[in-house]
Amino acid sequence: MGKEECKTMLDALNKVTACYRHLVIALGSTSDSQNLREELKKTRKKAQELAVANRTKLTTLLKDKTLSKEDRAEYERLWVLFSSSMELIEVDMKRSLEIGQDFPLKVPTRHLIQTGMTGSTNAVAARAMSVQNMKYEGDSNIDTADLRDLQTEITQVSQMMEEMEMKVQVAPWAVVAKQEAGAELKSNMSVGNSSVGVISICEEEPKDDEGGGGREGGAASIGAVVVFFVIVTVALVLGYLVVNM
Amino acid sequence: MTIRNALRDHGQRYRPRMACLKKAEKVLLEMQDPCTGVKSQPQRLVITIIPHAITGEDIIAWLADRFQIDTEEARSFGSMLVALGYIYPLQDHKRLVIKPDASLYRFQTPYFWPTQQWPVEDTDYAIYLAKRNIRKKGILELHEQEQYNHLHKWMNHKWDFIVMQAKEQYRAAKERKKPDRVVFDCQERAYWVVHRPPPGTVSAMDYGLHRRTDPNADETQTPDYYERIMIFTQQSIMRPRVKSSVSIGALVKYCATYSGHDPFLSKCLPSNPWLTDDTTFWTLNMHNVEIPTKMRVERWTFSFKELLSDPRGRDDFRLFLKKEFSGENLAFWEGCEDLKWGTAVTMREKAEQIYKTFLARGAPRWINIDGKTMEITVKGLKHPHRYVLDAAQTHIYMLMKKDSYGRYLKSPVFKETLKKAICPEEHKFNEVQLEQNARNRRPSLSPIIIRQQEQEQRAKMAANAPVDITQLCRFTTPVPHLAVYSGIPDPPSVTASPLFPFLAHTPVCPSPISVALDSTSASERQLETSEGEGNMEARAPDGGNLSKSRMALSLRRLLKRGCSPSAMFASLSPKCHTAAATSSRIQPIMPDEPSHGPPRRIGNFFQIKVDIPPECRIYPIESEDEDEENRPASRDRVGTEEIICPWESLSRQNGTG
Repeated sequence: MGKEECKTMLDALNKVTACYRHLVIALGSTSDSQNLREELKKTRKKAQELAVANRTKLTTLLKDKTLSKEDRAEYERLWVLFSSSMELIEVDMKRSLEIGQDFPLKVPTRHLIQTGMTGSTNAVAARAMSVQNMKYEGDSNIDTADLRDLQTEITQVSQMMEEMEMKVQVAPWAVVAKQEAGAELKSNMSVGNSSVGVISICEEEPKDDEGGGGREGGAASIGAVVVFFVIVTVALVLGYLVVNM
Repeated sequence: MTIRNALRDHGQRYRPRMACLKKAEKVLLEMQDPCTGVKSQPQRLVITIIPHAITGEDIIAWLADRFQIDTEEARSFGSMLVALGYIYPLQDHKRLVIKPDASLYRFQTPYFWPTQQWPVEDTDYAIYLAKRNIRKKGILELHEQEQYNHLHKWMNHKWDFIVMQAKEQYRAAKERKKPDRVVFDCQERAYWVVHRPPPGTVSAMDYGLHRRTDPNADETQTPDYYERIMIFTQQSIMRPRVKSSVSIGALVKYCATYSGHDPFLSKCLPSNPWLTDDTTFWTLNMHNVEIPTKMRVERWTFSFKELLSDPRGRDDFRLFLKKEFSGENLAFWEGCEDLKWGTAVTMREKAEQIYKTFLARGAPRWINIDGKTMEITVKGLKHPHRYVLDAAQTHIYMLMKKDSYGRYLKSPVFKETLKKAICPEEHKFNEVQLEQNARNRRPSLSPIIIRQQEQEQRAKMAANAPVDITQLCRFTTPVPHLAVYSGIPDPPSVTASPLFPFLAHTPVCPSPISVALDSTSASERQLETSEGEGNMEARAPDGGNLSKSRMALSLRRLLKRGCSPSAMFASLSPKCHTAAATSSRIQPIMPDEPSHGPPRRIGNFFQIKVDIPPECRIYPIESEDEDEENRPASRDRVGTEEIICPWESLSRQNGTG
């Protein structure tokens, strides 16, 4: 059904948006490198493809006049999801252009900010591209050429968004969200299966980063339950004995 | 489509106060240099080692060396860098200051730098809070919880997206190695501490209003530009000049007088709330406080303007004027202020009220202004606008300033207030107490609520105001009605309701007076009771929502009481103000005619000694005897007539005539 496809594609776009943001945050810092620029480029391209696909799908769905009210509301909700993703991508692209220009790589003395991040971002990019490992083609002019491309891409994206605004009459403020406050704490929210070559079905995970605080808490609760049952059995036994005496 | 960056961008660039950002970025780049920059060291967490941590003392030393400044200044410069968000502290992350010891800091990644172009989006903040919610399993800090709920309400249409994006970003972050993950969390947290400061922190991001144009940009030389220069120079030539000795003398005097009262230049007792987060100073200086502080009372002696602009001072002055029986001046002045600052809808009404209460012949609280001003004012009132009463207001203001103000400063009221004024002791907080104060900061009452409370209080006071007879000059306008109503302790500056009682009584002149004519002692008692009754029922509705029907009702009631022994009054009732009104319809100001008719009778009514203000001129409308014949005819119209505003009367005259 159209709806399921839509949701899947939106999920993918969402994933790419999140990963792109992580990559842009690493720009200009000590984890910046040739590879990062390439990753950015690839992720961007992927994002654009997904964006175009989503847009065509959603516009065709919304243009359908024979939609029922619930369907229409649902598609409007998906549209708001899509446009918000696009906004984030556009902002991130503009910022990456600016930071990329401020921190060129091919200069004799690099002044990258010592932020404490030294690891590479392969895994993030791989997640975005939905592949196991990233392959790098390593173009030496990645800085300048990439930035020019980036500028054209930004204009493309801006144009696309303007077109969307004009053509599709959706009132974003009228959309009612399905999630209530605190929904992110519940498990398995995802709109649909992000199945476009995904690495693993991600489940909600409660594990904390620093220390096994969660684990300790779990052990304590299990211990308490065990103690409770022990007491109950002892009480039953004693009661039986008393009754029989 | 939601508002995009482009639309909001127009204001973002032009914040010259934030010109420091570009300069700070340059400094920061210099600090990165491996040879000449700041020395970094690795930070050891439990099992991970994260590089690129710098100590506070290193930063300060480097800054002092680079710019050739002393450590104090380097320290404040460093604190500014931290407050802006270029460097963030690793321990005690909420206090954005540089500590000159071995506490650790780290540089912020360029994405999170506070550049002018990229406004801080609420969407991003919502995503961050959702991520934090996941991480902390639902236990957010108080202010974060509040913000979360607020955003959930206002960004509800995007909430699905926010939740989805938060989860995705959370998962994507897990793809990085442990040290990088920790660094990223610290970075993001630091960014939001700068841009959404928790309560108790000072934000360096307050930049004031947005501007549409860049004040530092070069202006194009259009003809309009030159025309503006020409106008400016022409006006400069025409400006009147003052001798520099005079103007500098005035400045010196001002500085000398006010320097002790300026919290920047001298101590603020008990303590400056902005510095110590202790609001005693504000509670001691509220509008309606019983006992003012000594500094406040001292300020009242500086000039009349100071006295009037301080609400507590104005109350004191009002009390003094009440004792002197010249409260109408201040009431008129306040009424004019109310007119000037009020809404346009109520302007016409207010102007009418003020005229009827203060300016008309036979008005209940008639003020004493000279003939010319009165003429101008009344003419202007035909087409009332906001500043129509300006001339009269200025006259009264100067009157009060030159006369009453001087007497006030020597009066027992003021001396009493001065004696009772308190001088609070200075607070001496130590570091721990200061931090506690900062944590306990809470917003005060909303000003809307405070204003409502003030209005309620005023209405309550107006409702049970004691009878206070003002305006008892023998030579002023017809006294009968004056006996009936009282000066309201609180002037009718906000509501029009206190004014209505006056109106209610004006047509009823015969009743209290005629009853009083019987016997002097009985008259006083009657006066008081009728006044009390009349005032009660007329004042019971507060808030100025008296409708015409209500007034008519009270009128009818009073009339009934008054008209019973009607035969008695026919010859006795002194000139009724309505009679005056009939003849004075067209000419609001009549030439003065001294007459001694009324005083004879008035002497019987009022056993109270009255202070006649020296400026009180003899201003009766016309002689008594003329009206005796007109009275029977005019008595029929007693119930329907009231003080008629000249502009209204003209039309009526035309209608009937």
